[in-house]
Amino acid sequence: MRLDTRTLVLMAVAIVINVVVGQIAVWVKLPLYVDAVGTVLVAILAGPIAGALTGVLTNLIWGLVSDPTAAAFFPVSMVVGLLAGWLARIGWFRSIGMTVAAGAVIGVISTIVAIPIIVYMFGGVTGAGTDFATAYLVAVGHELVRSVAIANLVQNLADKILTCLLAWLIVKRLPLRFSSGFAFFAHSKV
Amino acid sequence: MAVARPSGSDHALLYVPGTSWLHRLNPMTKLVAVLWIAVAAFVLPTAGTIALAGLAAATGILAGAGKVFARRLAFTLTPLTVALFVVHGLLVGHGNQTDWFGLTVSRDGIAFMFHILGRIAALLAGSLLFVTTTHPARLLKALDSKGFPPGMAYLIASPLLLLDPFTTRARAIREAQSARGLDLNGSLMTRIRAFPALLMPLITLALADIDHRAQVLDGRGFRAVPRRTVLDPPPDSPAQLWARRLILISIPFQIAGGLLWR
Amino acid sequence: MALIEVDNLTFGYEPDAPVLDGITLEIAEGERIAILGGNGSGKSTLAQWIAGWLPRGAHKASQGEVRVNGTTWQGLDARTRTETVQFVGQVPMQQLSGFAFTVWDEIVFGPGNLGLPPDEIVARAERAVAMCNLAHLLERDPFSLSGGEQQRLSIAAALAMQPRALVLDEPTGNFDPESRDILLAQMADLPGGLTTIWCDVALGPPLVVADRFLLLDEARIVFDGDARAFLAHPRTRDIFGLPAVAEVAALLAKAGRWPGGILPPFDLDEAVAAFGAVMEGTIPA
Repeated sequence: MRLDTRTLVLMAVAIVINVVVGQIAVWVKLPLYVDAVGTVLVAILAGPIAGALTGVLTNLIWGLVSDPTAAAFFPVSMVVGLLAGWLARIGWFRSIGMTVAAGAVIGVISTIVAIPIIVYMFGGVTGAGTDFATAYLVAVGHELVRSVAIANLVQNLADKILTCLLAWLIVKRLPLRFSSGFAFFAHSKV
Repeated sequence: MAVARPSGSDHALLYVPGTSWLHRLNPMTKLVAVLWIAVAAFVLPTAGTIALAGLAAATGILAGAGKVFARRLAFTLTPLTVALFVVHGLLVGHGNQTDWFGLTVSRDGIAFMFHILGRIAALLAGSLLFVTTTHPARLLKALDSKGFPPGMAYLIASPLLLLDPFTTRARAIREAQSARGLDLNGSLMTRIRAFPALLMPLITLALADIDHRAQVLDGRGFRAVPRRTVLDPPPDSPAQLWARRLILISIPFQIAGGLLWR
Repeated sequence: MALIEVDNLTFGYEPDAPVLDGITLEIAEGERIAILGGNGSGKSTLAQWIAGWLPRGAHKASQGEVRVNGTTWQGLDARTRTETVQFVGQVPMQQLSGFAFTVWDEIVFGPGNLGLPPDEIVARAERAVAMCNLAHLLERDPFSLSGGEQQRLSIAAALAMQPRALVLDEPTGNFDPESRDILLAQMADLPGGLTTIWCDVALGPPLVVADRFLLLDEARIVFDGDARAFLAHPRTRDIFGLPAVAEVAALLAKAGRWPGGILPPFDLDEAVAAFGAVMEGTIPA
C-alpha cells in the first residue's frame, strides 16, 4: 500500500499532535496521558492502517526523544489506531454518543493489549500514578494481574473516551476544503 | 565542499554529539546490536541482565554519553524500584518471608524485583547506546541508502523536526490563554475545561499547513522516481556487514538457549 | 509557443464563489512578471494554478485550463512538473520539506529525489548555495533559521531543481526592510533565462524584479502592461493607495529601473513630482 503525500504529511503532523497534546495534559495536570488524539484523528480521516502506523511511530519517536521504554508499548498504540479506523469505517464517529462508545471500546481492548506488557515485562508496575491503585488493589487481596487490569482499565477508559471526543470535535470543525481530500472520512459524515 | 553534519544541539533528542567509535559505527550495525541486547534481556538470568546493563552503561560512558545514561536510568528505575518493592517485596504473597526493619519482606519478591529491574535496565541501556550515539539524520541516511521507503523515513524525520516549533507554538498559546484568564491551577473540572482551549488552536493551525507541506514535497519530486540518490551515506564495511550477519544468526540460538536453560 | 498558458480559467474552492473568473494569460520563457492585487483578489490561487499546485483532489476548474508547452498539468509526469515550475509561498517555515536536518540536506533533497548522479546534485546545490548566499548556514537546522533565511533557503532548494520558471507568492510578506532588500538583491542574480512570476500586495518589490505587470481585481485581470501604465491605472491607486503609488513612482523616476534589487531611499517632494509625471505620461517605463 502506498500512502499519498497528503496522508503522509497528515500522519507526521498527527505524531507531533500526539506528543504536544500529551505535554499539554501534563501542563494542566490531568491524571491522564491523552497521547493518542493524533492517532485517532488519522484513523478517522485516513483509515485503520494509517492510524496504526501513526500510533507505532509515535512510540518510536518517544523512544528517540525522551524515553526508550515508551517504545515497548507500541502494540497498544497500534491497536488504538486500528480500532479507531475500523470503528470509523462502520460509522461510529458520526455522533457524539457513538464517539463515546467508540472511546470505551478502544479503552477496553487497548487495556487488554497493555496488561501482558505491564505484567510480564515490568512486573505489573509502570512507575506512574496507576501503580498506587495497583498496590492498593493487591493490598486488599486481589491477585496481581487482576489489580493491574482494574487499575489500568479505569484510567485508560477515561483517557480513550476523552481522546476520541477531542478527535471528534476536531474533525467536526474541519472545513470542507480540507476534509474533502480524505475519501475515508466519508464514513464519519452524518 | 564540506559535508554538512547535523550538530544535534538544535533538537530535544537524547542524542549526544561526539566522534567516538560508537558514533562512527554504521547505524544498521548498532540497530542489530540493540536487537541482540533486547533478546538477551529476556533470556538471561538476573545476574546476566544486570551485567549486560552495566556493560552497556560503561560503553555509553566511554562514548561520552554518561550523563544521559545516568539521568535516564535513574528516571526510569527509581520509581520502578519503589513500586516493585512495595508490590512484590511486601504485598504479593511471594515465599521466603523474613523480618526486615520491622517489615515482612519476601526474599523471592525481592529476587523478582531484581529480575525485572535487571531486564528493564538492560533494555534501556541497550537502546540508549543506539539513541545517544546515532543522530536521526544518520539513521535515516543509512536506511535510505539501503532502500528503505522514503515515505517511512519522512514519518520519522518530519515529526522530529516539527516537535520544537510546535512546542514553542503550544507555549505561546498557553501564555496567550493565561493572559485571557484561563485557569491552569483550578479544580480538576476547570482544568479539564481549559484543556480544549489550549489544544484546539494548536491543532487547527497544525492541520491548516498540511496541503501546503504536501505540495512542497511533491514539488521537490518526493517519490517521483523509484530510487532516490543519497549523498554521503554513513560508511559501512565488510567487517560490519559480517558482524551484523553473525549477530542475526546468533539470535535464534540465544532464544533456544534461554528456553533450554529454564 | 508560450511556456505557460492560462486559458479562460474559472475556478472556486466552493461552488458559486469563483476566486478566478475567466483568466487568460500567456507567459513566455524568460519573462519577469508581477501579479498584483489586494487581499482576496485571487493572486495566490492564480499563482498555484501557474505552478501546477492546482488542480488537486476535489479542486478542479469549472471552466478553462492551464497548459505548459501545450500540455495540461495532469498530462505531465512528476519529474517534468518539478523541472518546469517551482513555487515559493508566503510562510517561510511551510516551504521546508521536513525531511532534512541541515540546510545542505534541504537543498540536495529535491535533486536527490530525481535520482540524479551525486556529482550533479552537489554541483547544483553549490550553485544554489552561492546564488542565495547560504554558505555560512549549511550545517544549521532549517527550522532554527530566521524567516528571511528560511525563505532564501526555499528559493535555493527550488533553484536546485533547475526549473524553467519560479513562482513566488508574497515571498517578502513578513520581512523587515533589510531582509527584504537582501532577497531582492538576490533576485537580480538569478539565472538570466529563468521565468519569474512574483505575486504581491506591496508595490515596491515587484517593481524591482518585474517588467510586466498584471493587476488582479475581483477574480479578473483588469490590467496587463508595463510599470508606468500600471502605476497610472486608476484601480492601482484605489487598491494600493496614493502614497504607495507615489513612493514607487519616485523610485522609478530616480533610477529608471534600479539595478541590484535594493529599494533606494525615497523623498516626498520627488514622489509628488514623479507621481504627476507618471500621470502625465512623461516618465518612460
